Amino acid sequence: MTKIYQLEFGRKQTGVEDLNLEVEEGQIFGLVGPNGSGKTTTLKLLLGLVFPTSGTGEVLGFPIGHPAYKERIGFLPEGPYFYDHLNAVELLRFYGGLFGLGGKELDRRVQELLELVGMWDRRHIRVRNYSRGMLQRVGVAQALINDPDLIFLDEPTSGLDPLGAMQIREVITRIRDQGKTVFLCSHLLKEMEPLCDNIAILNRGRVVQSGTVDELLAGPQGMYMLRAHTVPQEVVESLRSFATEVRTWDSEIEATFADQKLAAQALEAVVEAGGTVRELSPYRRSLEEVFIDAVGGEAQ
Amino acid sequence: MHRRREKLSTVAGVVALIVLVGLLQVSLRSTSYDRLVLGLNRPMPITKVVDFDPTAITGVVIGAILGGFREVAATMLWLKVDELWDSGRGTEFATLNLMRTVTLLDPHWIEPWRITAWHLAYNLYVETEDPHERAILLDKAVACLKEGISWNPDIYDLYFELGWTYFDKIKDYEEATKWLEACTQFEHPEYIERLIAHAYERLPEIDKALDWYDYCIKRNPGDHTAIGATTTIRERYLRAWRLAQQKRYDEALKELEYYLMVDPEDLIGLHFKADLYERMGQKRKAHDIWKMAGEMRALDDYARYRASLLAAELGLPAPPQPRALMETKKELAVPVPK
Amino acid sequence: MKAIYRVARATFFEAWRRRFLNAILVFAVLIIGSSWSLAYLQPGAELTLLIDIGLGAIRFFGMLIAVFLGVRLIADEMEKRTVHTLLAKPVTRTQFLVGKLVGALATVWSNILLMGIAFYIVFALKAPQFRNMDPEKGPVVRMDFMYANIAKAIGLSFLEVGCIVAIAVMASTIFSWILAAIFSFFLYFVGQMADFFRVLAQNPDRVESAVQRTFFAILYAVLPHFEVFDVREAILKDQFLPWLTLGKIVATGVLYIVIATLIAWLAFKGREV
Repeated sequence: MTKIYQLEFGRKQTGVEDLNLEVEEGQIFGLVGPNGSGKTTTLKLLLGLVFPTSGTGEVLGFPIGHPAYKERIGFLPEGPYFYDHLNAVELLRFYGGLFGLGGKELDRRVQELLELVGMWDRRHIRVRNYSRGMLQRVGVAQALINDPDLIFLDEPTSGLDPLGAMQIREVITRIRDQGKTVFLCSHLLKEMEPLCDNIAILNRGRVVQSGTVDELLAGPQGMYMLRAHTVPQEVVESLRSFATEVRTWDSEIEATFADQKLAAQALEAVVEAGGTVRELSPYRRSLEEVFIDAVGGEAQ
Repeated sequence: MHRRREKLSTVAGVVALIVLVGLLQVSLRSTSYDRLVLGLNRPMPITKVVDFDPTAITGVVIGAILGGFREVAATMLWLKVDELWDSGRGTEFATLNLMRTVTLLDPHWIEPWRITAWHLAYNLYVETEDPHERAILLDKAVACLKEGISWNPDIYDLYFELGWTYFDKIKDYEEATKWLEACTQFEHPEYIERLIAHAYERLPEIDKALDWYDYCIKRNPGDHTAIGATTTIRERYLRAWRLAQQKRYDEALKELEYYLMVDPEDLIGLHFKADLYERMGQKRKAHDIWKMAGEMRALDDYARYRASLLAAELGLPAPPQPRALMETKKELAVPVPK
Repeated sequence: MKAIYRVARATFFEAWRRRFLNAILVFAVLIIGSSWSLAYLQPGAELTLLIDIGLGAIRFFGMLIAVFLGVRLIADEMEKRTVHTLLAKPVTRTQFLVGKLVGALATVWSNILLMGIAFYIVFALKAPQFRNMDPEKGPVVRMDFMYANIAKAIGLSFLEVGCIVAIAVMASTIFSWILAAIFSFFLYFVGQMADFFRVLAQNPDRVESAVQRTFFAILYAVLPHFEVFDVREAILKDQFLPWLTLGKIVATGVLYIVIATLIAWLAFKGREV
């Protein structure tokens, strides 16, 4: 799919270009990318809020923009805002009503969701007086009002305190565990790494890398990494002779080794020298590294 | 599929739009016709705008902007007119424009029409000595009242004002009778009929004057003015009038002379005599009598007017000064609405 | 249908909380109330002025409310991005647009209703004083059809402001809301004197160029004729207003609303939000 925005005076701006994504059911799919890389455009395309310049797409088996699939999806926009004369309960009842929900069942659902996002105690406050975090919480609740099979979340934890962010992450995992699909957009890589099953990295409207999290983060086959501290200087020097790379800061060291045997050797040396081992594991890159590799190169 | 359906719906929408606009024209046409027949259209001096009368254009634009508040604005402006008047600036051009604007904003309000015309024909009239300017002022007063009548054709008020202006100020009794008679179609005060009779006397149209006086007496047997007037006319002029109608002019003249000997300056008598000579074809004699009547009474413009008409026909020297009536009639005549 | 109703309801209640619109309503009701004493400013025509202030206020303030509500209707949703959450729900653009419009209509109509009731009360209390105001002058003020006619006139105001709302919404789907507001006001004012263009178009004596006349004829055909909703002449002359004529006026008004909505729909259905 390609989306080119027609700006004033005939200027054009590419939203996304040759986008090709596939999201499997029952997964948490993460779309990451720097600001302005086309994450929100992708969401808007999928929701039928904007129309593709070329190409097609399907959501839950329906062509994009088709009204039918909207019964079965939920959406949390970035920096959500709602009718500010309503309170949380009225707001959720309004959105629930759009799905044809009502009566006791809707009331129960509203309470359940507000409890889930931690807003039940504050349910009588009007949206006008909400903090950024409260908007976000109610935003998540409204996205779930119809018990969707597929839920789109744009920067779900932005504006939340760490506790709130954790609660939302828990909610997201729980949804996945119920067999639902989650489509997540974020630039908070630390948060995405443990959460997502699949990830696509978007830069300047193009997918530059995609795959399962394990695939993306896996280092070169067979490499191991050792982390330790209070390691004597001469031992560090000796490690350098057979390690692929050694990095040090203060009393910390982090060394990578080509295979398990070399790693074991290093472990022994460190232990003998009285150093404290913190971690020995197969080498895995952080999402941040992968991201900077993928995006940083092009940015230059 | 989905996109094709979208396109189809667009086409259907455009087609529906065209059909609806067509339907709208039909319903608009029918509605406009009904409104015209029922007289529902709001007064708007459109023709004046087309003629590019700046005051009128201002009036229309203000009217449109104010929407429903035109009459309120008119009231406010009228208060301003009052203020100007009281501060002695009543004869200024600005005041007149303001009055005109009020009539444009609220054409159904009688008061401003009446006052504006009165202001033109009486107050501004005496401000100038130039007969030509005076004629223009009278003409404007007449035009103002006629426009007022066109907005308010169903009440007697402005017909009366116009008739009275012709009768009292312009001394055009032909026009006066026409407009005064128009008053009688509507509810009106009793003195209108007497005024019509007075105007016919002066033309002179003795028969018609008597008809109107008789009507007054029938309506109110205690109408002393009418009784007195009929008695005088019947005594003095009726015989002569009947003879004249039978074209027995010489006998009629004799009858008339008899009473003119008694009262040689009688206005009705003099007018009658001059008119008689005119009918006999003795235009020179008629001219002399009209002229004499005009000289006898400072306010007898009608006689002077008739004299000047004959003077022009006979190639006699024009009267010493052109008169307002002459000018209104000849140069600035406004077509009378049918 | 349900989605339209839900959107309309939310729009209605939101609009009623706008202080600006409430202020206009309060002001209008105050003006209507003040016609009680203002009527004496126009001696000999008190009744005319009473009716003029009352109905004039209803139409004028109704128009103000309609324009300000109409042009912000879609723009607010776009600016606050509430439209995103809404259109991601099972609400089509058509349902959204129609729902917003119905909500706005309900809002202005309830405003007109309140103003109308206020005026009717003032009129019913005040008018009998003028019935036999000046017996000396001859004609007494006739009021045979006046009460019914005023009700009919208020009814037509409903339709007029309905048209203005629809036009304002239509304009706001095409232009920015500020431009749409200017456009709507302009159309309202010019629409009051649409007949003027007919005179220009049909008067070869006054407008000599055939091209100009055609231009005026097109203007006459295209401009909304708001003057058709004005029946104050019938009130002032106290003449019976035939139901058939009223029906035609209503049909015209409904057509205006439908046409404006259709144009708005055509402009909005492919709109990216």
